Amino acid sequence: MGWIAKIARVGRMVEPAQNAPEATIAPPTGVAGSLQIRHVDAGSCNGCELEISGAFSPVYDAERFGARLVASPRHADALLATGVVTRNMRQPLLNTLHAVPEPRVVIAVGDCACNGGVFAKGYGVVGSVGDVVPVDVEVPGCPPTPSQIITALRTVTGR
Amino acid sequence: MTTAVHTPPAVPALGEGPRDARRPRGEAALSGGLTAVLGAVGLALGLSVIFGEPRHLRIGWLLPLVGVRFDLDPLGGVFIAATGAVSIAVGIYAVGYARRGRWARFPLATLPVFVTSMLLVPAAGSVTTFLLAWEVMAATSLALVLSEHHRGAVRSAGIFYAIMTQLGFVAILLALVVLSGAGGGDAFETIAAHADGLTSGTRTTVFLLTLMGFGSKAGLLPLHAWLPRAHPEAPSPVSALMSAAMVNMGIYGIIRIDLQLLGPGPHWWGLTLMIFGAISAVFGVLQASVATDLKQLLAYSTTENMGLVTLALGAAALLSSFGAPTVAAIAMTAALLHLLSHAAFKTLGFLAAGSVLAATGLRDLDKLGGLARRMPATTVLFGIAALGASGLPLGAGFVSEWLLLQSLIHSPHDDNTLLALAMPLSVGAVALTTGLGIAAMAKAFGVGFLARPRSPAARAAREAPASMLTGMTLAAAACAVFAFAPVLLASTLQQVLAVLPTVGGDAAGPQLGTILRLPGVAGSISPGVLAAALVVAVVLALGIARWGARHRPAAAVAPLWACGADALSPRMQYTATSFAEPLQRVFDDVLRPDTDMEVTHFAESQYLVEKVTYRTSLADPVEQRFYAPVVRAVTTWAQWVRRAHTGSVHLYLAYGALGLLIVLLVAR
Repeated sequence: MGWIAKIARVGRMVEPAQNAPEATIAPPTGVAGSLQIRHVDAGSCNGCELEISGAFSPVYDAERFGARLVASPRHADALLATGVVTRNMRQPLLNTLHAVPEPRVVIAVGDCACNGGVFAKGYGVVGSVGDVVPVDVEVPGCPPTPSQIITALRTVTGR
Repeated sequence: MTTAVHTPPAVPALGEGPRDARRPRGEAALSGGLTAVLGAVGLALGLSVIFGEPRHLRIGWLLPLVGVRFDLDPLGGVFIAATGAVSIAVGIYAVGYARRGRWARFPLATLPVFVTSMLLVPAAGSVTTFLLAWEVMAATSLALVLSEHHRGAVRSAGIFYAIMTQLGFVAILLALVVLSGAGGGDAFETIAAHADGLTSGTRTTVFLLTLMGFGSKAGLLPLHAWLPRAHPEAPSPVSALMSAAMVNMGIYGIIRIDLQLLGPGPHWWGLTLMIFGAISAVFGVLQASVATDLKQLLAYSTTENMGLVTLALGAAALLSSFGAPTVAAIAMTAALLHLLSHAAFKTLGFLAAGSVLAATGLRDLDKLGGLARRMPATTVLFGIAALGASGLPLGAGFVSEWLLLQSLIHSPHDDNTLLALAMPLSVGAVALTTGLGIAAMAKAFGVGFLARPRSPAARAAREAPASMLTGMTLAAAACAVFAFAPVLLASTLQQVLAVLPTVGGDAAGPQLGTILRLPGVAGSISPGVLAAALVVAVVLALGIARWGARHRPAAAVAPLWACGADALSPRMQYTATSFAEPLQRVFDDVLRPDTDMEVTHFAESQYLVEKVTYRTSLADPVEQRFYAPVVRAVTTWAQWVRRAHTGSVHLYLAYGALGLLIVLLVAR
């Protein structure tokens, strides 16, 4: 019965839920608490990716607010873009956006995605995510914390 | 000995190169038309014998000493009718094929002779006539295989075929000479009358020799090696004739000589047939499922299906020797029906493969693809053949395989260890064969015809001309009869079963009505009703879907998702090699593929790969184990004998004198 004792000893791991933020945008599917997300790394340093994986980890647990990462843009309602858009990733980003069925939401995570951050005007950089595709929600920070990411996602999931 | 290379080189496209302006177009029509007419005559004759009186014909002056003798009975009739039906389709097809391809005069002239000899083999009523027709069949088919003799692969296949078919002929010749010597006469009638007086040693000798000879003609293991060589290299109408009609003659020989004239034999005869049949079926389908050459795949599938027929024959013989005539009748029906349905779908398969070959010059599945848009009619027709070969419901091969399984499952084996062991093992072999057959045919159809073309030649494919399509449509109609309405063949099969050995006249055979019923066995099925139910279900489903969709918005068109990349290329598709790779891995110990992978790095860095070369070749393992030692031994012996051949005329004259001296001394 070691594992039951372990559960009792560790107790509750997950961060307590904050109050729901105000919705900035209506859930694209029309249903609150269901947002399927496809993530695209357009040229990130992987700092934002670490924080995103933290946000979906058991400690922060973004899924309890109705956000899920999915494997194919065909299954997604939202695009989660990180990093500056590099030349090589410009077309794939556009292709992925077109593969997400409408109505869809684009969420830019991190300073690079929002305004280019430290890599702005680099020789291989096209620009921020907003320069390539229309962005609905921005999450500033270099990198943003998992709580900030979850708060931004909750403004879309409506839960 | 050459090994079968996994990716065969492209065959030069038919119709390319300079056209022979001297060849009048009428020759193709004459040869094809004559073949079709001969086929029609054969079909009519066969049917008239099945439903009418047996016919006899003696031509005393045609052969010295014995004369030519034809005796037609329903057993021969069904083989004549099948050969005739195949020839009609092939003859019509050959008109268009010969025009599109470059068929020289000689093979065009040989085609009707080949068909005639095949029609005469089952009609023969005496050993001499039988052997004569058999040898004409072997020689003309060899001439036809060598139609494109300017290609090295064809010559190699021709030599292989010539040697094996003649060795088979020698075996049959010896067997029949022994049989007619012991049986007191040349005619089959006389032998049948004296059959009871044959010693068991004679019977065994004749059985083993004929099994070898006829087995090699039917493509049974281990004498199948000529089949996957000669059938792909022959022109496609000839492949169809050989694969759908000529291999049947091997089965005919086994039925006529072993089961009818000599039978009923001891238990081990049936068992031997079953073992050879099962091994051929499993090995053939395994090779078919990893083959990448479309016609070679079909040729291995012939070995598979002849194996199933032999298995059914063996089961019938074994069951009747253990006194179970009802189930034996089911097995015999399965053997006959499968033989006939195989003739239908294999004709169609080879003809469709031929129209692909004529349109693209390709047999390599790894280079084909995308033909569904370019050759829609051929695609549908090959689909019908593939469905038939895979033994699925609504396919031509389903009913016969179902009958075979029923007879194996329902065989009575109370206190009989042999039957209790043999039958479940055979069920396993048939099940494995059918499963792998589906994989092989899904590969041939899916990789060969669907998706996008993998080569410029496949992209430029054009639909076959009308006469080729007509020939194929006739074969497809026959497939449909076997698939949906075996009831049309019920009376024919009943007439043949009544005269067949191992079944007996009084045993109730399976009733092939609209609903197939098996007397004494709790089994029934109705392919016609099954097809009708499927059509109704499809119409209903489509109707409901359309009704449900009437308020939905119009479908949006989105670009293909290629994981972010810009476009999908044909190189990203499954190939025949990659489709079969898991199977090849599972059956690694049997197939023994020779795989070689070579990775080239950039000169600057070991971490960057410039290119990867992957080569795999599949040689026939049976061929390597059994044939290579024999060929080596013969070669060594020939080298040794060659020392006596110095080229000196004086020495040869001395040999002659010496030989004469020895003969005189011995015969003193």
